[in-house]
Amino acid sequence: MAKPYDAIVIGSGISGGWAAKELCELGLNTLVLEAGRPINPETDYVEHVPVWEMKFRGQGDRKARNATQPIQQQCYACDEMAYKFFVNDLENPYTTPEGKPFSWIRGRQVGGRSIMWGRQVYRWSDLDFEANGKEGVGVDWPIRYADIAPWYDHVEEFVGITGQAEGLSQLPDGKFLPPMALNCAEQVVKDGIAKHFGRERVLTIGRAAVLTQDHLGRSACHYCGPCHRGCITRSYFSSVNATLPAARATGRLTLRPYSVVHSIIYDAKTAKATGVRVIDGQTKHALEFKARIVFLNASTLESARILLNSGFGNSSGQLGKNVMDHIMGGGANGRIDAPADKIDFGNRPNGIYIPRFRNVTTKSKDFVRGYGFQGGGGRDGWGRGSEMMGFGADFKRELKKPGPWGFGFYGFGEMLPRPENFCEIDKTKVDAWGIPALRISCAYGENEQKLLADMAVTAAEMLAAAGAHDIQPFTSNNPPGLVIHEMGTARMGRDPKTSVLNGNNQVWDAKNVFVTDGACMASTACQNPSITYMALTARAAAFAVEAMKRREL
Amino acid sequence: MKRREVLLALGGAAVFADPLLAAGRALHSRLSGGAALKVLDPHQNEMVVAIAEMIIPATDTPGATAAKVNEFVDLALGEWMDDNERAKFLQGIGELDDRSRKRFAKDFTGCAPDEQTEMLQLVDAEVAALRDADKQGTHRDPTPSQGFFQMLKRLTLLGYYTSEIGDAEELHNPIIPGRYDGCVLLDQRGK
Repeated sequence: MAKPYDAIVIGSGISGGWAAKELCELGLNTLVLEAGRPINPETDYVEHVPVWEMKFRGQGDRKARNATQPIQQQCYACDEMAYKFFVNDLENPYTTPEGKPFSWIRGRQVGGRSIMWGRQVYRWSDLDFEANGKEGVGVDWPIRYADIAPWYDHVEEFVGITGQAEGLSQLPDGKFLPPMALNCAEQVVKDGIAKHFGRERVLTIGRAAVLTQDHLGRSACHYCGPCHRGCITRSYFSSVNATLPAARATGRLTLRPYSVVHSIIYDAKTAKATGVRVIDGQTKHALEFKARIVFLNASTLESARILLNSGFGNSSGQLGKNVMDHIMGGGANGRIDAPADKIDFGNRPNGIYIPRFRNVTTKSKDFVRGYGFQGGGGRDGWGRGSEMMGFGADFKRELKKPGPWGFGFYGFGEMLPRPENFCEIDKTKVDAWGIPALRISCAYGENEQKLLADMAVTAAEMLAAAGAHDIQPFTSNNPPGLVIHEMGTARMGRDPKTSVLNGNNQVWDAKNVFVTDGACMASTACQNPSITYMALTARAAAFAVEAMKRREL
Repeated sequence: MKRREVLLALGGAAVFADPLLAAGRALHSRLSGGAALKVLDPHQNEMVVAIAEMIIPATDTPGATAAKVNEFVDLALGEWMDDNERAKFLQGIGELDDRSRKRFAKDFTGCAPDEQTEMLQLVDAEVAALRDADKQGTHRDPTPSQGFFQMLKRLTLLGYYTSEIGDAEELHNPIIPGRYDGCVLLDQRGK
């Protein structure tokens, strides 16, 4: 048996990276267990590979993807360059009931999905933390904005967030680096919305974990565009680009790739975890590692699976319950009268954002909670040619010029916690390492469908306010999971009878186990959740180390 | 078989069995600088090359032939499309030839340039009418030659504008722009 560590972190994704950094910097010898392979930016990042060097010119090897990544390829980022950052679906099976598809998008490598994440960063407000309690939905969050605000500050200072302060109560401002510019069409739409909706609906440039100036040894963005393929200048935030190097710099980090966690070893006598059971990803040998505390950061569904396979943590009966994602896909597109002699330059890895405006100051009759819009403007490119009549020299000259300006809104709405949306161990199935797989049963409900329908209406209204023409409202049906904001399987709460974790992300039934990924969320709000996982992780790490000093753990 | 023998064999190709012919064709195309085509036969390839070049011709910049669009089309047929999509595409090539013979009493590739243009304008207009019908909610399935032209136009644009010639020479898209400007005059782009 190897020497015991002070702490084990399970997972090296966006929250695991933070757990590693904070625990190491607070003095703990920390072992990070990552199920997948190591990532070497110099050889694994592919953001500058020209499209003509790819066999299928960026369209992907369709037959190979159909064979091994039928689920993963549903994600836009699982493209011909970046598919290697997504799991092989055959090695990582899960089941769903008939008629309830769930798209589980996963990345198993050092850095996890922080390599391909969307990088959008939005703080939650008390509108979000108070909603469950006020409405009697799910359980009340055990924390409020004041509890997490200093931790948002703490993580944002390190991450580096580009954004524009707007002074909105429902979307608190953060510690921003300079904002990226709006393009011509976006400025037209912003002005139109401001004129018509005042401060009720506000268009702002996206807040993103991308550097607009050099920051803590990482370089400013060079606007190549496809962040999900990696970033050799480390300009966007990921575990590989930022937190793991910081953890390593302390000399207290041990990072073990190819470590597929089977379960956490639990001692019922002390009601504590003693270590972690691992299947080596390459040899498939079983191994055990010991530590005083365990941070579980394997991602919402994997963390639930590990706890369920461990046989503790479920005295409330809520473990694996309340699976949530956001609902996406209502919006509208239109043509914008922006200057025909102007265009933008560079591939801005960011769009626009319309913060939530439903049920903020006024109350909607039809639904609770709300949604925000992402989106953006731009001029059509050569792709429009296949829908245009003509061919020959004039046609080619036409396609050399940029096409008309367009603009699109795409909504992301809140999903309510419901116990009938759950995951459990599927006793008939194991993964490639012999570990029991999950069965996921999850569907959107009435409130989410109403949000989706409303997105199309309000997006079209805003385009109309901006003088757009050819306005096309739409709603699209996406299976849950595909937003890749899954949350809720081990929720925080105030009462051990109705929640899995307490207000410090401690498992009620095992005080030296902390769950600080999306599993801990008691509701989803409508904002992209990663920065909240990061803040909760840093907060829990500080709490854990203090408790260890007090000899409580 | 030695290279000289293959070249000799190609001179009297009709008398040779298929596998040998295929081997000879592959070698021939390597010798002439192109990649071996896996799906398109020489006649189909000739049509694809001709039509792709008519869609995106060489002007002050190189066109579809220089960007080897036909090789991209062959790859898409062989390794990207499913059996049904491939069969439809090849059937469409045949039907376009049939229509050409009916109209001009010649294969498409045997037609004069203005006849070829007339033929493509006809199919292009038919495809445009299908799009209009779609917009009015009265969808009609394309005929094989219409479906072929629709697909080849798409593949030509994709194959051309994602080639080094199309992306870098024609459109001047920088891989590393180095900055983002939100709204600049077209001729100030990147300056």
